[in-house]
Amino acid sequence: MNPQVDGIEKLPGTYAFDVGTGVRRYRINRYLWQLTQPAHREAFKADPEASFERAGLTAEERRLIRERDWLGLVRYGAIFFVCEKLARVDRIPNADMYAAMRKETMDTFLATRNVPGAR
Amino acid sequence: MARILGGIGTSHVPSIGMTYDRGLIENPDWKPLADGYKPVAQWLADRAPDVLVFFYNDHVTSFFFDLYPTFALGVGESFDIADEGAGRRRLPNLRGHPALAQHLAESLVNDEFDIATFQDRPLDHGCNSPLTLMWPHQAQEPHWPGAIVPIAVNVLQYPLPTPRRCWRLGQAVRRAVLSYPEDLGVVIVGTGGLSHQVHGERTGFNNTAWDHEFLDRIVHDPVSLTRLRHADFVERGGAESVEMIMWLAMRGALSEVIRPVHQNYYLPLVTAMTVAVYEEVPAAADSRSTAPEAVA
Repeated sequence: MNPQVDGIEKLPGTYAFDVGTGVRRYRINRYLWQLTQPAHREAFKADPEASFERAGLTAEERRLIRERDWLGLVRYGAIFFVCEKLARVDRIPNADMYAAMRKETMDTFLATRNVPGAR
Repeated sequence: MARILGGIGTSHVPSIGMTYDRGLIENPDWKPLADGYKPVAQWLADRAPDVLVFFYNDHVTSFFFDLYPTFALGVGESFDIADEGAGRRRLPNLRGHPALAQHLAESLVNDEFDIATFQDRPLDHGCNSPLTLMWPHQAQEPHWPGAIVPIAVNVLQYPLPTPRRCWRLGQAVRRAVLSYPEDLGVVIVGTGGLSHQVHGERTGFNNTAWDHEFLDRIVHDPVSLTRLRHADFVERGGAESVEMIMWLAMRGALSEVIRPVHQNYYLPLVTAMTVAVYEEVPAAADSRSTAPEAVA
């Protein structure tokens, strides 16, 4: 019970990351975090499936990463900021993740923004 | 004795650093952002602080959930620039200030603020993103214009420190800095925000009215902001905007009355990128705290 976040679950499309999530989803968060380490990153790029196997990821976790299912990842309990590491490895801008989170095409998403070129 | 020269509040989104790295400073989409940092750079050049005490957050880069500190003070001699998945930004390492940092640790802990200390951990965009525009460095030695004492705040994994706790941390940092025996000029920096949400279907949420209310209250009525809960910040400004509690740490470290000298607000895509500069107002010059007999 954390009075600071009481009621936060009522906000639509928002998944607060707490210690409980950090424990339950430790493995996939650690896997994505380790993409900041060149050796792990290169192993992932060279043979993702073998890298998943070594990390002991579940079938669902492998799918989420394989498909770059950004919304699925955060709903599952991967914090956005480790997903961002994967986007950096892929060299894709965050705008791709944002459009996917909103279940929109890039054009639809950008049409809602003040300065679509700033991405 | 060390002196506090003022404070800076600034967003720390990666695109601020990218504007610099990709040479987009004159690009029409980024110029309103880059131009907003020019007066900050000038102010820092004029004040020439020895040290920036920098409230920032690590984005699961140099700290992972095997041990994620609520508050952690960087005490090392230098700090590398983090590799966040795409390689390291081409910047010189940041210089620490171990003597001031040790004093801060001693003062904070004796003030019952039991802060963790760290060294040998790179600083990520939470710290280095705004620095390149506001505190231009030289490519060669001696690198950056001064030293940095980073203070990492957990704004990622609930439970986070409460807004009031961040405010009080700032007050404790003020006591610590002002009791440092050496003559040092110090600027306090608080990073993050303003409104944005970058995860879930609510991604892209902004609240410009709230942003401007916050900017007004952080100057004139910061204590009222310490009474908000994290859920209030999340509801009003978007999930990741809860990091605005780090502005409260900065504000807590400044004089009771402050003078805003610069502010820039630019919301191009998903984050209300904001930078503001505040100067201290000594108590004697503060009409609100001037007793009638003192006037006479």
